[in-house]
Amino acid sequence: MHEYAFFLGCIAPNRYPGCEASAIKTSEKVGIKLLPLCGASCCPAPGAFGSIDLNIWYAMAARNVVLAEQMDRDIALICNGCYKSIYEVNHILKHNDELRDGVNEVLKEIDMEYKGSIDVWHLAELYYDPKICGVDKIRESVSRPLTGTKIAVHYGCHLMKPRKERHFGDTDHPMWIEELVAALGAEPVQYRNKMQCCGAGGGVRGFDLEHSLDITNEKMINLQEVGADALTEVCPFCQLQYDRGQVEIEEKFGIKYGLPVLHFNELLGLAQGMSPDELALDLHAVDVTPFLEKIL
Amino acid sequence: MAREKDYGNPSLEAKLKDRYYYSDDTNRDFTKEVEKIGRTIAHMCYQCGTCTGSCPSAPRSSYRIRLFMRRAVLGLEEEALTDPDLWLCTTCYSCTDRCPRDIAPTDVIMAMRNLAARRDIVPRNFLKTVQAIYTTGHGVPNNDVNRAARVKLGMDAEPPTTCGFPEYIEGIKAIIDHYGLKDRADKILSEGE
Repeated sequence: MHEYAFFLGCIAPNRYPGCEASAIKTSEKVGIKLLPLCGASCCPAPGAFGSIDLNIWYAMAARNVVLAEQMDRDIALICNGCYKSIYEVNHILKHNDELRDGVNEVLKEIDMEYKGSIDVWHLAELYYDPKICGVDKIRESVSRPLTGTKIAVHYGCHLMKPRKERHFGDTDHPMWIEELVAALGAEPVQYRNKMQCCGAGGGVRGFDLEHSLDITNEKMINLQEVGADALTEVCPFCQLQYDRGQVEIEEKFGIKYGLPVLHFNELLGLAQGMSPDELALDLHAVDVTPFLEKIL
Repeated sequence: MAREKDYGNPSLEAKLKDRYYYSDDTNRDFTKEVEKIGRTIAHMCYQCGTCTGSCPSAPRSSYRIRLFMRRAVLGLEEEALTDPDLWLCTTCYSCTDRCPRDIAPTDVIMAMRNLAARRDIVPRNFLKTVQAIYTTGHGVPNNDVNRAARVKLGMDAEPPTTCGFPEYIEGIKAIIDHYGLKDRADKILSEGE
């Protein structure tokens, strides 16, 4: 069993608890144990918080990392926004003495010290990594293949970009999440401008909702074009933007898409035989039933 | 950036005072500060426009990342920090991945936002997130619908974050108070009401 401190973030535990539940259950079936990271906070939101003062963003993210250092476990998480904060701040502080000293000066006030002793991973990359799990193990864990469904993938921005500060390689046409989706028995579909942002990040969703939804709408048009049965992603904030965003797009622009949006963990949960009730899919704003009818 | 030479030609000097030819409200330190906060070599920008071409916000607004890069290079502090378009970047980092000069335009924007915020130029939603995190530890706090759903899933109503362990919120407050950010957020938000 590979053990990790499970960093939850905000939107997964507080809006889509199915993402959290499925992460814990699906990972156990492939040899990954997620331990609760008690007292963790918001990562904090890189766009909303980092825009105001990057120094506070470093210190707040470092506090979360220190909690995992105290457990002596690497962090695993399920949200791209959290990845941006936790992975990147950990990476920066490991290599920048000046910033690390500044952060530690603040953390001293609450009896903490950032040491730089752990690493940070997205659960999806652990699923893909053959040293930890790998596509084959994911395929073997499937008891209810998603045969006959066409699934589009939204990678999101902050997991793989900026490329130079990550380790995923190609950010123009990545295919690794499609490999994971195919392992569930579904057919991954390609669509125009796959790597475009969902529109929610950088505080734009809160600053100018219509602008942000217009970006989402462009993606929805491209997704509709290829007839996907569902969209999957690895970021609850992207999920919120696509899921609740479709309701807002209907209100504001009068266009209805009805495309079910599922976190990859939820999709994996369904493929491993979890019931829709165990995933709280009724909390999704867009009805997931048309997709479920194809697989149940 | 004051010019130190002159042409000894009064009509040409007058012409050069025209903003169309010459702007004296530039601040050399602005470029340096942006580069320090953003940890990127903004002055290397040669204005190719790959950034704007990659930008999802550009086609639907007047936001042009290339323009902000020019402002960074020229030290046009006022222009950069007072333009509301500054807040339309979704921080998707497409420009950063494609920049042929290895600059991170996204981080230039983040640095400019930090500098604007120091002058209390910051949209309300950003400050409300600060308030929420200060109070609950979460930017998106738990609510009753979600608590009920969590219990139905067999989980605790409160996740094992600051929700379930509120004693950790003190540490978060201490960090934010160290920078005086909560008081500033409260003050700016109350002024806008």
